[in-house]
Amino acid sequence: MNVANLFNNYGEAAAMILFGIGFSNLLLQKNLIKKIIGLNIMDTAMYLFLALKGYVEGRKAPIVTNGVQTMEAYINPIPSGLVLTGIVVSVSVTALMLALTIRLYRRYHTLNLDEISTRLKKEGL
Amino acid sequence: MQFVQNFPFITIILSLFSGPLCSILGGKKAKRINQAVICIVMVMSCAVLAFVMQSGTSYVYMMGHFPAPWGNEIRVGVLEAFMAVFFCIIMLLCMMGGVYEREQKLEDTKQNLYYVLVNLLLSSLLALIYTNDLFTAYVFVEINTISACGLIMIKQNGRTLEAATRYMIMSLLGSGLLLLGICFIYDLTGHLLMSNIQEQVRILAQTGMYHMPLLVSVGLICVGLAIKSALFPFHSWLPDAYGYSTVSSAAILSSLVSKGYVFLLVKIFFRVIGFDIVCDSKIMNILFVFGIAGMIMGSVSAIQENNIRRMIAYSSVAQIGYIYMGFGLGNTAGVIASLYHILSHAATKALLFVAASGITDASDNHTDFFKLTGAGYRNKLAGIAFTAGSLSMIGIPMFCGFISKLLFAQAGMDNTYKMLPTLIALAISTILNAVYFMKTVIRIYTPVSRKEIQKNGYQNISIKEQPVKSVALILFIILNLILGLCSEPIVAALQSGLGMFA
Amino acid sequence: MNSWILIPVFLPVISGIFLLMAAFRKHPENVQISAGERHRLHLIVGTVLLISAVLAVAAVWTGEKSLTLFYLMEEIPIYFHIDGISRIFVTFTSIVWVCAGSYGFIYIQHEGKETGFFGFFLLVYGVVIALDFSGNLVTLYFFYELMTLTSAPMVLHHGSKGAMIGTLKYLFYSLCGAYMGLFGIFFLYRYCDTLTFTSGGTLNLTAAQDHRTILLIAVFVMLVGFGAKAGMFPLHSWLPAAHPVAPSPISAVFSGILVKGGVLATIRTVYYIVGPDFIRGTWVQTAWIILTLLTIFMGSMMAYREPVLKRRLAYSTVSQVSYILFGLALLNPTGMTGALLHTVFHALIKATLFLSAGVFILEGDKSRVDELTGIGKRMPKTLWCYTFASLALIGIPPASGFISKWYLAQGALQGVQQAKFGVFRWLGPIVLLISALLTAGYLLPVTMKGFLPGKDPRYQQGTPGDEEPPGFMLVPMAILAALTFIFGIFPNPLTKYIVQLVSGLM
Repeated sequence: MNVANLFNNYGEAAAMILFGIGFSNLLLQKNLIKKIIGLNIMDTAMYLFLALKGYVEGRKAPIVTNGVQTMEAYINPIPSGLVLTGIVVSVSVTALMLALTIRLYRRYHTLNLDEISTRLKKEGL
Repeated sequence: MQFVQNFPFITIILSLFSGPLCSILGGKKAKRINQAVICIVMVMSCAVLAFVMQSGTSYVYMMGHFPAPWGNEIRVGVLEAFMAVFFCIIMLLCMMGGVYEREQKLEDTKQNLYYVLVNLLLSSLLALIYTNDLFTAYVFVEINTISACGLIMIKQNGRTLEAATRYMIMSLLGSGLLLLGICFIYDLTGHLLMSNIQEQVRILAQTGMYHMPLLVSVGLICVGLAIKSALFPFHSWLPDAYGYSTVSSAAILSSLVSKGYVFLLVKIFFRVIGFDIVCDSKIMNILFVFGIAGMIMGSVSAIQENNIRRMIAYSSVAQIGYIYMGFGLGNTAGVIASLYHILSHAATKALLFVAASGITDASDNHTDFFKLTGAGYRNKLAGIAFTAGSLSMIGIPMFCGFISKLLFAQAGMDNTYKMLPTLIALAISTILNAVYFMKTVIRIYTPVSRKEIQKNGYQNISIKEQPVKSVALILFIILNLILGLCSEPIVAALQSGLGMFA
Repeated sequence: MNSWILIPVFLPVISGIFLLMAAFRKHPENVQISAGERHRLHLIVGTVLLISAVLAVAAVWTGEKSLTLFYLMEEIPIYFHIDGISRIFVTFTSIVWVCAGSYGFIYIQHEGKETGFFGFFLLVYGVVIALDFSGNLVTLYFFYELMTLTSAPMVLHHGSKGAMIGTLKYLFYSLCGAYMGLFGIFFLYRYCDTLTFTSGGTLNLTAAQDHRTILLIAVFVMLVGFGAKAGMFPLHSWLPAAHPVAPSPISAVFSGILVKGGVLATIRTVYYIVGPDFIRGTWVQTAWIILTLLTIFMGSMMAYREPVLKRRLAYSTVSQVSYILFGLALLNPTGMTGALLHTVFHALIKATLFLSAGVFILEGDKSRVDELTGIGKRMPKTLWCYTFASLALIGIPPASGFISKWYLAQGALQGVQQAKFGVFRWLGPIVLLISALLTAGYLLPVTMKGFLPGKDPRYQQGTPGDEEPPGFMLVPMAILAALTFIFGIFPNPLTKYIVQLVSGLM
């Protein structure tokens, strides 16, 4: 274990810190919108991590330009593909969460999940 | 290559695309399509199962035209095909058991959406079972979560919306951790296909390189999937989600969705990391401890619960605990026991949910424990079915719960250090199960006066009144008995399937 | 072909299930049945019961047989094997069951829900016969659990709150006990060559040597667990809760037969799986003897202080079944002989006692002992049956209880070879003696006050003998009461048979 490694791999370290921030927001925030923001931070941290893994110094994005087809010209395309897939997943999940939030807000006029729970208990449903 | 080998892929695609098709149809037609799709998938999976049983080996199906390290793959063995068949059966029976409630309680415009979600769920489950690619697994885990969330909130009252939100939040935490774990593994090995990863992990394990990161990534995957399948400390979302959603949702969620994640975990243990490597790490001990804690705490919570649906839901927490305890034993016998428990719990818990709905129907839709007095006489088949399910849960011989407990105990005997804790935990949990299930069974068979029945407006429900549900209940009971009495070939199939995994 | 031995098991089970289905369809609209239906019901139940009883007895008295039904799991078959022990158990079970059934024809008319009652009655008979037939530990456990489950609804017959609590208590204690048994079976499965019953035990001594402590613990847990069914302290308290709320024919078979299921399981475990040599002289034997002696004494004391007759008899069962367990715990042939003799005698005696208590409840509406003053003037025949059975239970010669207690005391005196157990040599017989005195103390007052009411203000003069029960109830009681004496006067064939059986075991 060498602390210096942390600074060499500052990108990964940052991704992990972001993941932690997002994770704890999603877990601990009471406000639903803040939870969703936490979720997005968490996902973005993963994209950062994946992008860093695929990146090779001095190469281009994996889109064929000017007919150059040599492998050495481009970075690793698989992580980029994973990031794209991840974005799709994240968008749909976020949309679902937002839809749920809207439903709950219309019904209870609050974004606080704990308050909704106490209200539900009072309703005795 | 034979035509039957295409079937796994066709089943996934079929159920995936029948989903959108349902969305443009009316409720009745969507229901028919859904039932047809499940039946077709079941038949096809049976054909696949027969094929792999006959050939005795597993095969890999290449998707697209890219060979191994780049392309996406499906892998089919006995275990996968068997699980697919079994999941289809359970799903069909669950849908049959909940058909009347759906027609009565869902809005007309939502009817077809329900079938969209179920078809999506089926496709994601099949994909989770068959896939050989970790990232594909992640994507279908998310699809699974989304459709499960839809199934919870389809009733659209405050309770279910809140339950769905809580379910979603916990699930997203879980899938975040799972994704992180998968990315770490990709980073370490440079592959996403399970077989390729395994080769690399073997090399890493032999050289002792990156020991810590590998451990961390396995740990992350375990925790992620444990959250999603409601292992004990992460179970807070479960009682609401199962307790207030419609019957078929609750039955499907408890018997299939959580089991899909568990199956993925088994796959990751055997096909990605290698079981011996996982066992050498201390992760198994942690799973073991949490599994036992779940067994006890789930039952304790169930005893305190007065709502019959939530009681059954808490019992799921305990049963998931069993499964993780089986993994925690760290031997193949334990995993076999866990796999068998996946089957037996799926058959039993779905039966209990459907039967409980019959019981509450006969008690003016009250779920409160004290209102259920004498319900076993008012809805006779549901009463019998609930009793059968309870006996199976307690582990009475003849029913499948007994066999899985026997398998757990045998597996426990093979592990010198965990032998005593396993047996003691099994005994305590069995007695706790007996307390709350027997309490309920006796409650529903305690007679009440006719005056009281009229005062509360309870109705008698005869077997012929709801034929589809009755058929589902009878089939569930038969399935339970088959699993309990003819366990030998099934265990043998599980063993050979697990053998093909490595 | 031995498959005909399945008939006495499956015939009552299947006909019981049919009756239950018929009863279930009617409930709750129509609980009462017409006279014609009742007649038909009695005919069916009587025929089925007689055929199966005759076949069961025929099956056990025509030599040893075995039959594998199916395989529960690899290496674990459900397997029937008929040997000497099953012979004894099946015979007295069938006698008591037929008598209680005949008695129940009349008794249950007053309780209602007859079809359901006889459905369960037949079902449990089939299961008990299967339990007696079982040839390995897993089969035994299988039917042991089934016996608990199928018999529980019989306690619940009234559906009152007390019945519910009694049933719950019964289920809870029995399931706890059964799981303690299962816990031990897991260990034995590992360290025994086979779980098939073999005289002298199948424990693999070389494999067990390293794990002696844990195996002893497992055996002890099993003994306590199976003891729950046999009403051994500390898991005895379901008996006094379940008996008074159940209908009397049920109490009779519970006390006479079902409780003996625990005894059978104990015999099979100790003498046919673990082997008496493994336990002899260990702390397990000491603890076991202490527990049984404690139960004998405590049960008698509780019975002595109990005012309700049926509960008094239930406590008496607690005490008397521990006589049997005490005999088994001595681990010597004489004790074992005494135990087996007492098993048979106690079944007959306790069935008689409960059946006559049922008559008192039914005809005179009297459940407390002090209400029974002068009962002998009104039902002399019933009270004579009661008195004969009481004398047998106390152990006054020439009644049967004397023979078994004689062997038990002999066994205790011969005892326990090791020096450190010397204390039991005199403690055992003394406890037996005290308990016998207490037995006299709690059973005989009913007779004395019943025949000689004196000037008791609670006694009202009635026409003598006018409340005597009908023959269907009286004759079975009389047969059972007579048997308790016949076995006492001519004990030789039975004793000889049992001595021979036991000598094969040890």
